[in-house]
Amino acid sequence: MDSQPPAANKLLNEVVDTGLCCLCGGCSGGCPYLVPYQGRIARLDDCTLAEGQCYQYCPRTPTDMDAISEHIFGQPYGDDEIGVVQEAFLARSADPEIREKGQDGGTVTALLSLALDEGLIDAAVETRMADDRTPQGFVAQSTEDMLSCAGVSYEPSPVLQAFNSLPKESTEKLAIVGLPCHVTCVAKMKTYPPRNRVDMDNVKVVVGLFCGWTLADGFHRFLQDRFDLSQAARFDIPHHPAHTFDVYSESGMESVELDDIRHYINDACSYCWDMTAEFADVSVGSGRAAFKGWNTVIVRTRDGQRVTDIAKAKYALETQPIPTESLDNLRRASLNKKKRALASIIARTGDADNLLYLGLPRNVVDRVLAAGE
Amino acid sequence: MPDIDVDAPGRTVLLMGNEAVARGALEAGVGFAASYPGTPSSEILPAIADVAARRGIYAEWSVNEKVAIESATAASLAGIRAMASMKQNGVNVISDFLANLVMSGVGAGLLLVSCDDPGQRNSSNEQDTRPIAKWLDFPLLEPGDFQEAKDMTKWLFDVSEEFDTVCMLRCVSKISHTRGNVTLGELPAPQYRISFEADKRERGRGSRRHDDLHRRLARAQRRFEQSPFNRYVGPDRPELLIITCGSCWLHSQEAVRLLDLEDRVGILKLGTCWPLPERLIERHLAKSNEVLFVEEIDPFLERSVMELTSALSAMGPRPVFYGKRSGHVNAYGELTPDLVINAIASVMGLTYQARDKEYDREIEALPRGYVVPRAGTLCPGCPHRASFWAIKNAIRMDGRDGFITNDIGCYGVGPTPAGFFVGRDGYCMGSGAGVASGFGKLGQFGFTQPVLAACGDSTFYHAAIPALIDGIHNNSNFILVVFDNSATAMTGFQPHPGIATNAMGGPARVVSIEALCRAMDVRVEVCDPFDLKNTTATLLDMMAMDGGVRVAIMKRQCELTRARQEGPPFKVHVDPDKCVGEECGCDRLCTRIFLCPGLRWNRNTGKAEIDEVICSGCGVCADICPQGAIIREAA
Amino acid sequence: MSTRTLMKDPLNLIIIGAAGQGNVQISLLIGDALVQEGYLVTFGQTYGATQRGGTVTNYLRISQDIQCSPIVPEGKADVVLALEPVEAMRVLRRYGNPGVITIVNARAIHPIDITGGKLAYPDVDDLLHAITRLSARTWVVNATEEAQQLGNPILANTILTGALIGSGALPLDKETMEPLLMERFPKAVEANLMALSRGIDLVNQGGG
Repeated sequence: MDSQPPAANKLLNEVVDTGLCCLCGGCSGGCPYLVPYQGRIARLDDCTLAEGQCYQYCPRTPTDMDAISEHIFGQPYGDDEIGVVQEAFLARSADPEIREKGQDGGTVTALLSLALDEGLIDAAVETRMADDRTPQGFVAQSTEDMLSCAGVSYEPSPVLQAFNSLPKESTEKLAIVGLPCHVTCVAKMKTYPPRNRVDMDNVKVVVGLFCGWTLADGFHRFLQDRFDLSQAARFDIPHHPAHTFDVYSESGMESVELDDIRHYINDACSYCWDMTAEFADVSVGSGRAAFKGWNTVIVRTRDGQRVTDIAKAKYALETQPIPTESLDNLRRASLNKKKRALASIIARTGDADNLLYLGLPRNVVDRVLAAGE
Repeated sequence: MPDIDVDAPGRTVLLMGNEAVARGALEAGVGFAASYPGTPSSEILPAIADVAARRGIYAEWSVNEKVAIESATAASLAGIRAMASMKQNGVNVISDFLANLVMSGVGAGLLLVSCDDPGQRNSSNEQDTRPIAKWLDFPLLEPGDFQEAKDMTKWLFDVSEEFDTVCMLRCVSKISHTRGNVTLGELPAPQYRISFEADKRERGRGSRRHDDLHRRLARAQRRFEQSPFNRYVGPDRPELLIITCGSCWLHSQEAVRLLDLEDRVGILKLGTCWPLPERLIERHLAKSNEVLFVEEIDPFLERSVMELTSALSAMGPRPVFYGKRSGHVNAYGELTPDLVINAIASVMGLTYQARDKEYDREIEALPRGYVVPRAGTLCPGCPHRASFWAIKNAIRMDGRDGFITNDIGCYGVGPTPAGFFVGRDGYCMGSGAGVASGFGKLGQFGFTQPVLAACGDSTFYHAAIPALIDGIHNNSNFILVVFDNSATAMTGFQPHPGIATNAMGGPARVVSIEALCRAMDVRVEVCDPFDLKNTTATLLDMMAMDGGVRVAIMKRQCELTRARQEGPPFKVHVDPDKCVGEECGCDRLCTRIFLCPGLRWNRNTGKAEIDEVICSGCGVCADICPQGAIIREAA
Repeated sequence: MSTRTLMKDPLNLIIIGAAGQGNVQISLLIGDALVQEGYLVTFGQTYGATQRGGTVTNYLRISQDIQCSPIVPEGKADVVLALEPVEAMRVLRRYGNPGVITIVNARAIHPIDITGGKLAYPDVDDLLHAITRLSARTWVVNATEEAQQLGNPILANTILTGALIGSGALPLDKETMEPLLMERFPKAVEANLMALSRGIDLVNQGGG
């Protein structure tokens, strides 16, 4: 028998039980042993395998950033704090209904809906909130489906469980929407193709969302106690200088002070290096206070370019150039996240050479550590 | 099971010990028989129930052994000969009633039959019930073979009436479940007459009744001195005297014969085991220097004879005693002829070779893997497997280290692989609910683990209701999970109050578990265990609710019952293209963990398969396969 | 009345199989026949929880004079009827001796530790060779296949009963058994009589 510990045990010991788990769901779905439930990964039974895809693809197990970057972009990792930028602009959906349902400009929903109409994809794996606003993975197969997924939950979402659960013989063309952690997991799967799962060549476009942190550990219960979530239509955390968490419903908007919910910020997020979903085909974030109602869009690959170009050509998206200052601000914000991540990691390991899961080129680490705030 | 009321006195037939007991009761003119199922006693009641109607007998499966003996006592008091039969644990359940019963008298003969399970093959514990007769002061006989099982039973009704006391017949599995030659006796014409004085005079008050009991027992002892059930075989002055009773008598005879010691070793078989025939024993002790006690399970005769010996001043040099105290005989487990051979050979300094040494060497040289252990598991299609799967998933998803307290029945597999290790060791009937109720009261000490109690449908009626009421009244925090498969399956499908027929095959009123629980005003959910998704979700919701008693009834018929009435609902097969077997994405979930015997692992192909002969067609495995490789189609 | 006599007193017959195979039925048939012939028979067996997948062992002790113990002493089996090859080996390990006569049904029944993949079922041919080495005489009977040919796998037990009769090891013959079969299986008399004859023929020592 194997003298190696089972991979699932390693995953639990190194990631889940140590507060690194961001509940991306990448370990679950194709596996009957691990399930995300109410903000944690539950183990239903023991798996004996020493080599497991749960451990292999988890974004918080050893991740060779150079190898992934070579595979996706054909170049080493780390030139730009906001990742590879083929093209950047501001955008919003041309459709007012999508803008209303979506976050900021509704760009993600517009892109996916168009891709579906144009036959570039057959379905999109996204996060949808259940009736009680719990986020879960969902396979959207129509514009109506996609609209039901619009809007951010601000909580961790096990969306990849839905992707991994797809029948392995499926030939449907897919999009995946996720936070940087989801995107890193998908990037690992692209770099080291999975067994007994749907073929990664089916994934035609990965849309990443900018992310600073998520709210977890009781935040959902807090929301349930504070608001009638069955009436809630949308959530928003408007950027600085705003300082609230807003809940939109038919009767209007209610707010909670950010300071009152800071203690719900997910601890696991303090170890996260990636703000802009650097391994996505297209990354989308808020237009921030300067461009309320718009999204910042970064196109990174040919696959991403194909979708955004068609979206512009078919007038699904309205766009405008993004000021250099805005991009620089984004770079600064991303760099700060990286500094905080390194600080948390090194504080934990006590060793600047042990960066837990981060397999970074030395020069990148040094550059981040040396940079000012 | 043969009909035991065949009218053929003098005919010899092959009867199980339990059947012989039933026949003995018929020959004694028994009119009332009550019991609760328990291995190895379970065949006694049905043997009588099958002929009850035509013989005018009342035969009943009672809710528990306490009600069985209480009902039988009423019949006895009213002038109808009555019998209550049970396994060892039933005797524990009735002990308070017995302690009181012996203080007053009986009416017509009243017999308690207790069947012990040495070796604990089918019991939650190992226990010798003989000492209760000594403890509470009533007569006890143990049959040494199948003829005696019948004859003793018949005689004990007379003994009971002569000395106005309940009497006990103690059997062990190797008598109860073994078949041997029994020559039948006469059957009386069925006729019963009520003879009941409502205000029977007591024999004195309080402690005086205890004194009266001792006097009656002393008279019984004098009667037992003459009993033909106590026999001696062997030389007049044996080098070694074996004192034995029950099936150990058969083992002892075999051992002496195989060692070729018939001229040197004598065997005193006692049939009247309490009170002991002291004079008889004394006479034999005087003729031997060495005595070996061979009995199951406790050193009951051994200690009682040793006590006796201390009181005999006129005996001269005492014999040397060998048995459990000296370590020559196990004080646990079942005895066999070989174990008795070892004891005798050890005492007498002999060697014994069971078979050719060369043959032994050949056996030793065989690969170990030739003998594969054959573990027990749940039947294919068993609803408990699905229930435990849902419970296991709910507990793991809940994440607070929930557990199940175990109880007695087919569903008592919680602590084993068949139950996916969700349970803790159990104790006796109803203890699942009782112990859970205790755990549910520990919140004030910081106990936070969710508690579930396992309870079968028959178990619910037998013993769980008081614990349930206690839990509700004291606001204990637990979920009672009732595994309601509409059967007392473990012991052979005897009816219980949830089933509309009685022991004699007639109609009976159903007392609904669901209705009872709802009447107690607690949350009650009825789940179909085969609907894994909803059952798991319901359990999760109930666990999250966290406060007071909740009841989840897992309701689905036992597969063995269902299969007698209908064909398989589905045809199930594994698609080998979809099955990934040992690889990541499965790691043999169905054959390694789910453990249905209908699923088989093929080492050569590396795929799971359905064993078509064994598969019951329930289709549940199709819902647990992570690759959708198990396909079910309507049959 | 049978023309045969007891070849040894007591004669020890062990019938073993996996739970659910029907060894009780065979044992009862033979036990009742022997009591009718005037023998003292002790027929002991295991029960209960082991019915759910475990082993069931029947000990049939036959004597002119003695009511024997329900358990065969170690090394003292005279005849072994195994409904399954691994069970045959299990019995011979404990109760076998150079003089034992063994009849074994060739069809393997996989216990849960094997179906579950934890252990491997030994090679059946290897097992059968070992069984033959450890017995004075061995017959391997494909009772399940034969029964299927006769129209019903349930007849396997009657075929094996026939094999026992045909081996000559028991003081019973075809004439003794037939009336019992007719009484016990009134709805399938012809099939069972055929199965009995088939079993006798398979061990080829002639009936009666």
